[in-house]
Amino acid sequence: MVKGVPNAVRVLAVAFVGLTLIFVLAPLIVVAGVSVSESQFIAFPPTGFSLRWFGAIFESSAYVQALFTSLRLAVLVTVAVSVIGAGAAITLHRGRLPGTALMSGLFLSPLILPSIIFAIGLLMLWSAMVGPVSFLALWIGHVVVALPYVIRTTLAVLADSDPFLEEAARTMGAGRVQRILFVVLPQCLPGLAAGAFFAFNISFDEAVVALFLRTPDLVTLPIQIYNQLEFSPDPTVAAVSTLMMGITIALIATIDRLLGIQRFVGT
Amino acid sequence: MMRDRLEDFALASPGLLLIGLGFLFPIAEMVRLSVVGPDGGFTTLHYTRFLTDAYYLGIVWRTVYLSLLITAICAAVGFPLAYVMARVSPRLRLWLVVLIILPLMTSVVVRTFGWMVLLGRGGLVPSTLWKLGFVGRNFSMMQTEAAIVIGMVQVLLPFTTLSILGVVMKIDRRLEEAARTMGASFMGTLRTVVLPLAMPGILAGSLLAFTLSVSSFVTPSLLGGVRLPVVAASIYDAATKTLEWNFAAAQSVILLVGVLLVLTPYIKLSGRRNG
Repeated sequence: MVKGVPNAVRVLAVAFVGLTLIFVLAPLIVVAGVSVSESQFIAFPPTGFSLRWFGAIFESSAYVQALFTSLRLAVLVTVAVSVIGAGAAITLHRGRLPGTALMSGLFLSPLILPSIIFAIGLLMLWSAMVGPVSFLALWIGHVVVALPYVIRTTLAVLADSDPFLEEAARTMGAGRVQRILFVVLPQCLPGLAAGAFFAFNISFDEAVVALFLRTPDLVTLPIQIYNQLEFSPDPTVAAVSTLMMGITIALIATIDRLLGIQRFVGT
Repeated sequence: MMRDRLEDFALASPGLLLIGLGFLFPIAEMVRLSVVGPDGGFTTLHYTRFLTDAYYLGIVWRTVYLSLLITAICAAVGFPLAYVMARVSPRLRLWLVVLIILPLMTSVVVRTFGWMVLLGRGGLVPSTLWKLGFVGRNFSMMQTEAAIVIGMVQVLLPFTTLSILGVVMKIDRRLEEAARTMGASFMGTLRTVVLPLAMPGILAGSLLAFTLSVSSFVTPSLLGGVRLPVVAASIYDAATKTLEWNFAAAQSVILLVGVLLVLTPYIKLSGRRNG
């Protein structure tokens, strides 16, 4: 009988995974710690416990405005990518159009092409064709960045779906629109929902496209944080950052509770 | 048949329109601007300016070697991490995946802020090093290449780990058992059976991590500061501070070409994996 894993290796593996987790989680823990510190200087480990920096967020019009901009943007991006992504994923899954592979590559390319490259292109194109950048330009940028995620999660769900359901609906006399709405779309739903949560999170956290397309009136929450970090970080920045992490955790928990997160990662 | 295709095309058309107008067209405009001179005519001036100036070449070199280092660390840590994650119980794996995804889904700005607190003067890392007697009291790790590497590894490690995990999960465990019954040691099996089988995933994850690293802006500019500019920071300055758009466009095209060169083997690797 061969011994599975040597004990020394087991101990090393546990220590290694523990240290690595501490490393990847350290900045998040530190930010959360600073946000509840009583000190008015940024300090970790925190001294005392206070929630006053969270109150300070809502006394600052810059943060409130940025929070509002980010929420509005993320919601509108989520709506758009859900609609556009569902249609694109259904077409890609069916694969009946010529050039499906090319189309698939095209739809997923914003995922692998660094966003700084297209952010600067969008800034230049918008300025040349439309004028000063606006909320609409930023919305388009974020839809492009978030779309591949929705398409991927929806494709993953469609790959496991039963192709004969639509066939059955057709023989039972359902029209094209009915088949899409009542047969195909319900099959997409879990993937679409997961993709929508990811898209919301991406838009809410995104800092490159938003940085290039910022104007004094168009500042998202990550960009407001970035501005503060460049000049004078105070514990309020930590409180806002912690708020953003809280939203991310809530989104992850929702995806996992509703759909099981493991279906959508690791491939 | 014809109407099926029409239906599929109608479903995909909003997406195609968006990718066309919001993605391809902007990149095309950027490429066009990169060869427009001050008089409005064709020029390669912006390219020669970037590629012949030692200052800019220094920026390129810094970006490339830091990215190579960051990528190598991510792969070296990501592979054993992914292997452990693949071999623990599904319940524990779920927890590990969640703990890895949490930083991945947190804004880069927030994570970089965490490192600024940890690495800055009086932060946990410098003050620990001071107590151990390695450095002076006012030591700060900010504005160093080490800070950039630490921050970027934290940003990209979850990414690399998850892409390697996808491949390791598909490795047949019986291959490892067979190697062990044939007398290979645990580490021997890892080296001669698991590592070669995981290599496509490690390579694909590394290539992607490298492209993300060479084009990253927020983390290097906040942790490295203005004294240690990278290519993305140089593009940002030209586009928003000195307002030399054609020069910014030329630098972006150079970055784009570099990224595409790295992505070509990536696409081949991931295509083979899916096919």
